[in-house]
Amino acid sequence: MTEFASFESIAMDFEGAGHERALAILLLSMADDEFVIGFSDSEWTGIGPILEEDVAISSLAQDELGHAQALYGLLAETIADGRDADGWAYDRPPEGYLHARLLDHPRGDWAATIARRYLYDTADSARLEAIAASSHAPLRELVAKIRREERYHLMHVQTWIERLADAGGESRARLLAALKAMGPDAGTVLAPLPGETALVRHGVSREPFAVMEARWRDEVGATFGRLGLPELPPTASPDRPRTDHSDAFRSLHAEFTMVRRSEVGATW
Amino acid sequence: MTDPLALDPVLPPRERSAMPFNDDALGHDERFGHFEDHVVGGGKVEATDWMPDEYRTAVLRFVEMHANSELMGVLPEREWIMRAPTLRRKLALTAKVQDEVGHAQLLYRVAEDLGKPRDAMIADLLDGKTKFHNVFHYPTKSWADIGIIAWLVDAAAIVAQQALRDSSYAPYARTMKKICWEESVHIMHGRDVVVTMATGSAAQRASIQEALDRWWGPLMQMHGPRSDRAKDRDIHWRIKAKTSEELRQEFLGIYVPRILELGLTIPDADLARDPETGVWAYGEPDWNELRTVVTNHGPKSQERLDFRRQNWEATQWVRDAILGPPQAAAVA
Repeated sequence: MTEFASFESIAMDFEGAGHERALAILLLSMADDEFVIGFSDSEWTGIGPILEEDVAISSLAQDELGHAQALYGLLAETIADGRDADGWAYDRPPEGYLHARLLDHPRGDWAATIARRYLYDTADSARLEAIAASSHAPLRELVAKIRREERYHLMHVQTWIERLADAGGESRARLLAALKAMGPDAGTVLAPLPGETALVRHGVSREPFAVMEARWRDEVGATFGRLGLPELPPTASPDRPRTDHSDAFRSLHAEFTMVRRSEVGATW
Repeated sequence: MTDPLALDPVLPPRERSAMPFNDDALGHDERFGHFEDHVVGGGKVEATDWMPDEYRTAVLRFVEMHANSELMGVLPEREWIMRAPTLRRKLALTAKVQDEVGHAQLLYRVAEDLGKPRDAMIADLLDGKTKFHNVFHYPTKSWADIGIIAWLVDAAAIVAQQALRDSSYAPYARTMKKICWEESVHIMHGRDVVVTMATGSAAQRASIQEALDRWWGPLMQMHGPRSDRAKDRDIHWRIKAKTSEELRQEFLGIYVPRILELGLTIPDADLARDPETGVWAYGEPDWNELRTVVTNHGPKSQERLDFRRQNWEATQWVRDAILGPPQAAAVA
């Protein structure tokens, strides 16, 4: 397994110019986000609440994993240290992953899955919008493709959160509990990344993360207001490092690397 | 026998074709005769057609067990979605399991039209009143199992399913066309996993052989004991076309050479093809094991049913929330 002790070492390992290093961190964090949420969603494959939704969430999971695969591929080209997309996806210790803390929550019940998907999809959408006209052409092209699919994910999750909120009773109570547990971590998807000033200066992103976050909070606030859901709290412990992951993620990591670790270097 | 009127088709008679058995003016026996002639002569039956109780019950039982098998069949493989060793394998396995859930959905819809609601079929499955295929009662112990299942279990299934594309019950036959196409993609995925491991490291190769050793018995039992073609009601009604032994011979004919080609050993010393007749001889499958397993006494039967029951109960509130009418939001 590649030694990759900390977030800082990821940044330091890469010897490119300032904004290229920042680009690599952006790609890795986005890829890890998609990889981990794709994992959580695929845990529903085969046990979804109704057969039609089971098929739908498996499609979402496959889309997210496809996005992760493309982003890791782009990262592998950018860094060109011999690691391929799978190497990036699998061969790191848990603390080498840069996904948002929101995605560190275990799968939970269906309400937790919908709450997580809603909070992530809306935040990710704000991020994709900010880099849709990126000066980095391969990223711009990939984002255009990703946004076409994410549009449907948003419609799907929007419908679900409305139904769960409007159904009242146990459904609404479960949704409220999930939002209470995840709300303080929701903003971590748009937490600033090192080098973001360079990203904006070079036109990789049109705006810093704080601007994306404000836009996203306005949008979520409007939906939550309409559904009578409590306002999202500010991010808890904003200084906690991105590489500090939960036990739930450590267990997930142990599981998803299990076969691959059983014979390092083998072709699967 | 139940009153045939009690099981009349769900769709209204006005959508029926002009077949003589659809003539409401005829008596039951006469309609039965016309229906039997039609089906035995290779005719198709639509959900809107009048059909005798014997036929409806036989098709329903057949399709329901198929649907149950697709639904239970996702469990042995889904455990490994989380452990797939590359992004490509994880995507392929997720898509495969998703296909099977989709097949269950399609098949339950076919069965629903025959008069049994989906909830009732799921309830009967969870209560152990209806069955699912033997191969889904066994554990998946390694990643190699994922290759063997997708390649050989799906291959054995497709041999049977291809013969169902011409089933007399037309909605089932149409559904089988789509399912067979998807199953053929699963076989390619499975074969790729097996070939990769069989041509990989010594440990990978040993793992594939070990998986084949464990799955061979259930594979040979999968199509069921030899039966008398003349006494098989499902064949009489042309719901299916081939006997268990015909399917098993077809499976062996195609797959034994392919397995041996990879340098793997098949754990049956008696397995041999008669060069003159082309018929495969094989060690007698353990039919007692098959009976034990399909009556939910297999190594994983109860654990899998429990897992399904727990998940079904844990998501009941979701079905209540979305299938019920929207309520006013409870404002605190």
